[in-house]
Amino acid sequence: MRLYEFEGKRLFRQFKIPVPEGVVVGSAKEVYDAVKKIGAPVALKSQVLTGGRGKAGGIKLADGPNEARTIAEQLFKLKIKGFLVERLLIEPKIDIKQEYYIGVTIDRAKYKLVVIASGEGGVDIEETAEKAPEKIIKKALSIDEPLYTFDALAIAKQMGIPQALIKEGASIVQKLFKMFRSYDAKLVEINPLVLTGEDKLIAADSRVSLDDDALFRHPDLAEAGIEKRHEEGELTPRERQATDWGIPYLDLEGNIGMFPGGAGFGIMGNDFIHHYGGVPANFMDSGGGPSPERIAKMLVLLEENPNVKAIFGARFGGISRCDDFAKGVIMFLKDHGLSKPMVMRMTGNMWQEGVRLFEEAKAEDPSLMAKVEFHGIETPIEEISKRAVELAREAK
Amino acid sequence: MAILVDKNSKVMIQGITGGAGKFHAERMIAYGTNIVGGTSPGKGGQKIHERPVFDTVAECVSETGADVSAIFLPAQFVKEAAIEAIRAGIKFLVVIPEHIPIHDMLRVREEAVKYDVTVIGGNTAGIITPGEANLGIMPDIAFKPGRVGTVSRSGSITYYVADTLTRTDYGETTCVGLGGDPVLGSTFAEILLKFEDDPKTKAVVMCGEIGGVYEEHACEVIPNMKTPVLAMIGGIYAPPGKRMGHAGAIVEGKMGTAQQKLDMLAEAGAHPCKTFTDIPATLKKLGV
Repeated sequence: MRLYEFEGKRLFRQFKIPVPEGVVVGSAKEVYDAVKKIGAPVALKSQVLTGGRGKAGGIKLADGPNEARTIAEQLFKLKIKGFLVERLLIEPKIDIKQEYYIGVTIDRAKYKLVVIASGEGGVDIEETAEKAPEKIIKKALSIDEPLYTFDALAIAKQMGIPQALIKEGASIVQKLFKMFRSYDAKLVEINPLVLTGEDKLIAADSRVSLDDDALFRHPDLAEAGIEKRHEEGELTPRERQATDWGIPYLDLEGNIGMFPGGAGFGIMGNDFIHHYGGVPANFMDSGGGPSPERIAKMLVLLEENPNVKAIFGARFGGISRCDDFAKGVIMFLKDHGLSKPMVMRMTGNMWQEGVRLFEEAKAEDPSLMAKVEFHGIETPIEEISKRAVELAREAK
Repeated sequence: MAILVDKNSKVMIQGITGGAGKFHAERMIAYGTNIVGGTSPGKGGQKIHERPVFDTVAECVSETGADVSAIFLPAQFVKEAAIEAIRAGIKFLVVIPEHIPIHDMLRVREEAVKYDVTVIGGNTAGIITPGEANLGIMPDIAFKPGRVGTVSRSGSITYYVADTLTRTDYGETTCVGLGGDPVLGSTFAEILLKFEDDPKTKAVVMCGEIGGVYEEHACEVIPNMKTPVLAMIGGIYAPPGKRMGHAGAIVEGKMGTAQQKLDMLAEAGAHPCKTFTDIPATLKKLGV
């Protein structure tokens, strides 16, 4: 999960990495006082959870508080890759003499942490990596290995940091590495690390992604308002609802509600729907061993989504039990009701018990399953996918 | 023959008294898996499903001769449990839980390499050698002994692929769940090479998905394999992947989209499949 620039910089400050003294504002009317406090000229930086904001016009300079307020009014109307700007970070304008790059990430294939640095930071760092790989410094480390001072000094020298600041530069590399380890990060970047006109090093931007699965170790983040979110962008209202219910869910643009089992078939089931000419309305993952309540909630998300015209359901019981699955579907049908056609297949762990529950429910109230087409292991999943596409077409 | 587990494996369960551990231990025993015991700190001396419970893995190994372990514990306990198993002499470790912190898995991998232990998962459905051993959470209904191996990042995909192989009478040698977490105990390349060494496995179906780098690295071993590899990749139509900053691109290169993975695998000599029904059709063409 990605952090906003200002959140990343708060962590930088916590690790004593130098950052500009900034103020975060949520409306244009706060800008005047903020600029008065900081002192003009200032940079107004849109806070969005996506890259490329500079090129999208999300960063502007202002020479005084009145100009800053006018610019801020425009920025608060801006959408960057579809994300509305809701906050600005206002910082003193930095006099840039040189831009460096420092990052730490994980090389998943080699199972190592990698410190990356370059004397040529800024927006074109990836192009540099591709065209002039000799300008990129990489240092791979095992998860428990420290980044020693002598290694950090070597990195700072290779970056071309001036001799007078070499210890300071090495220390920033070490602090960034320490922050990466301490906060279970997937990625931390200072890009650029700026050498200012006054010959000071300062982190002008932050890019931080943390491992949501390790948030339990960092309760201080939740206290600072940093909670589970996407790698890019904020959640839609329905995604927010699903997250509150503990269900991994993404809104997509189609009309077939996807109600699959695990994440793997969640992804491939969507491919199958496309393959047979349909478009899914969502991605969803039940997680391992969902309770009947959770199954029912998954269906509520689809029933209440006006874009959904037909529902595709699939359950191959592994850690999940088909009887729990059937209980959840029946719970939903009884308590909430289904207005959309649904085709589903159920097999695997405890499938006979699941079938028995469906048959009992149907015997009790034949109307309950009226909208549900139910299949077992005898029908290949490809047929279920085709049928869901047909149902969505008929419903249009 | 099979890979990693068979009827002679002595299997233990870490977390055998917990809800999931207890439930699935019973299923595994019913399948005929040689479950010799398990651990649950503080419950040493008890019995569950007529198998002894120990406080530590070391005790379980010395009393029962266990050489394989499956972990059924909450994600935050996996790092310690895995290191415990590796140091106690377990040779093959199956990590069932999902959402294990990435830094923890890096630590587990370090330890596994040092002690020459194979780890699969986290977030794996486990591994099954049909007719011999079922280790994890896979439903046995989908599987039948046969001649095709499978390795997949997803449990549900494993079931569908096996179901397809079973109903078309190819059957399976061993089905390996690589795991769905971002950092895994083993790579596709490592598991493919184990299948290559198994004379009974006549072809391997590998199922990857969008994201990560393990599919791309499989391309390094496929050209040198005699056993044919069939490849399916989930997420061809998924919305564009979330990029991991500049550092991710610099380290991992421009990897990760499903189509790129499938193209790379095809170029390396794998046979791409789009739906499950493409699998038996391809096997037939290859004369498997």
